Amino acid sequence: MPPKRMTANRDRSHRYFPGKVEYAQDALSSDSENSDAEVSSAHQPAKPSLPKATSFPKDARLAANLSKINLDARRAQAAAQEAERLKREAEARAKEEEGFVTDDDNDEDDGSRREQESGSEEEEQEESTSSEDDVPKRRMPAPKFISKTNRKQHSVPVFNEEELAAQEDARRKERADEMLQLQLEKQAAAKAAGKKDWDDDEEGLADEVDDTDDVDPEEERALWKKRELLRIKRDRDAIESAEKEREEIERRRNLSKEEREAEDREYIDTQKEEHEGKGKMGHMQKYFHRGAYTFDADDETKQLLNRDIMGSRFQDDARDKSMLPSALQIRDMTKIGKKGRTRYRDMKSEDTGRWGDLGVRDRRKDGDHRLDERFLSDGDAERPGGTGANAYAVGERRKRVDDSRDGRRDDKRPKYGR
Amino acid sequence: MAHQADEKRMLDDRGYTGTLIRGANPLLLFEKPVRDRIVESMYWKEQCFGLNAATLCDRAVELENIGGIYGAAQKPSKFLCLAFKLLQLTPERDIVLHYLRQEEWKYLRALAAFYIRLCWQPKEIFETLEPFLADYRKLKRRARESFSLTYVDQFVDDLLTKDRVCATSLWKLPARTQLEDLDVLEPRISPLGEELEDVDADRQDGRMEDDSGSDVEVLGDGHGLGNGHDHDNDADVDGD
Repeated sequence: MPPKRMTANRDRSHRYFPGKVEYAQDALSSDSENSDAEVSSAHQPAKPSLPKATSFPKDARLAANLSKINLDARRAQAAAQEAERLKREAEARAKEEEGFVTDDDNDEDDGSRREQESGSEEEEQEESTSSEDDVPKRRMPAPKFISKTNRKQHSVPVFNEEELAAQEDARRKERADEMLQLQLEKQAAAKAAGKKDWDDDEEGLADEVDDTDDVDPEEERALWKKRELLRIKRDRDAIESAEKEREEIERRRNLSKEEREAEDREYIDTQKEEHEGKGKMGHMQKYFHRGAYTFDADDETKQLLNRDIMGSRFQDDARDKSMLPSALQIRDMTKIGKKGRTRYRDMKSEDTGRWGDLGVRDRRKDGDHRLDERFLSDGDAERPGGTGANAYAVGERRKRVDDSRDGRRDDKRPKYGR
Repeated sequence: MAHQADEKRMLDDRGYTGTLIRGANPLLLFEKPVRDRIVESMYWKEQCFGLNAATLCDRAVELENIGGIYGAAQKPSKFLCLAFKLLQLTPERDIVLHYLRQEEWKYLRALAAFYIRLCWQPKEIFETLEPFLADYRKLKRRARESFSLTYVDQFVDDLLTKDRVCATSLWKLPARTQLEDLDVLEPRISPLGEELEDVDADRQDGRMEDDSGSDVEVLGDGHGLGNGHDHDNDADVDGD
């Protein structure tokens, strides 16, 4: 067993070792829990020498005054403060894993001491907790030894970790439920107040149209009657027009052929008049066509379809385009300046053919020096005999060798002599 | 087949074995762009998932307007989404008739009328829908940019005569006259039966003036009904 002190010098003052339990003279080893029996229990601090003069109050005769001293008031006060502090600490440190709950026994001494220290302690703690992750953030009270018999009598229940976790879960759920409840209430209130869901549209417009019935029954009924009568009328008109068409067909069938032609001619004449009344296309005027697809339409559309397009002019439209420079004599003036403009003017100006009388051709190309006949134009080079290879008479044939002799009948190849 | 909560399987036309309407998948009655808009809309995804014929009523009673597509983003109206759901469900005749004939919710009635117009045969359409030309309750109709007021009878009339209602091309209905000629239908008897005879009598007498006997309002340009002008007074804007 190692010696109680590592030094033989008794007068050596005690050094402070952090974490090492200090033994005051009166706090006996029996009261404190021995975590490290070897180190702590054996250590007996040297008693400091007594001071020369005592500051102990002279008239405080302990034995006589013991009965007078009432510790209860102080005790109660300390207890109250302790309770407050505990409550605050408990709320603030609800998520701690380990928590030591103080015993009721050592509240007085420790309470007062801890009060003073807790103020400064908390400041220190904030600085130190960041560095110390392993050490639990909460400051541990001095562990007090409880003998086996006392251990089982817990005035305050100590929860183990699982129960604590369960408790915290329950608390969290409660809070979540409350929040959810609040939200639902808010939504209901908003709906009641008429506010819309995020995917509903603004129905402000809808309020202009009122679809409540029986506001004015008479009027509604009257409107309905009107609609109904219109429907009936529409049906009847449809029947009538169908009838008329049938009659017309019958009538035309019954007419003789001449009469039919007379009617057709009348119709065509009226059409022509209509067309003539409309404006004509000027020279180089853009042609607006109505479009190939027409359909049976009501009067308004028919009027639109029959309007006079080609007769109308807009303000900048030049009637006589010949006064314009040639670059501007275009059918569609909107294309001026654009790359996609076609240079086409009209068919006549683009035509490269020759139409008309071309009987006499006076002009000759280079008439004085006769060119070689290959370079003459076709008209010039025409001769009675022929052109090209036909221009010259065929000369005499060269003599073939086998003509003179008959010995060489076997040769297939005709030989031409000199 | 079991009730499918979403429409994805049905939209995929490849193995379709369900009810055929007009010989094809019912969902194809709506055009492709409209179908896409409906299926991508939040209302469809949130509210129309897993509806059956009964729960669809819950949604339908919350309807506040009819309409097709509106807005710049071509958002489908809730009416259109529910109609699409009806097409997906293809409920039975009786259910649809019940939707139509119940008196309390007019938008549900409009929905049923729309469905009938899309799905049933011409004779049945005329016979079923014509009685509702007497229902003059108001409906709110959502056009592209605005709302307008229309009536149930006006809506039914549009369904019977127009080509395109609520962003859907209705399939071509033979005209009533054709069906009458084929003796499939009887000529229509208007609910204004008696008063109509009064009107006719006056017409035969001469030009029709203000008639104090009936409640007919004089039309806008002062001419009576007897002058065969083609008045198109239907001022509703279609949600095409």
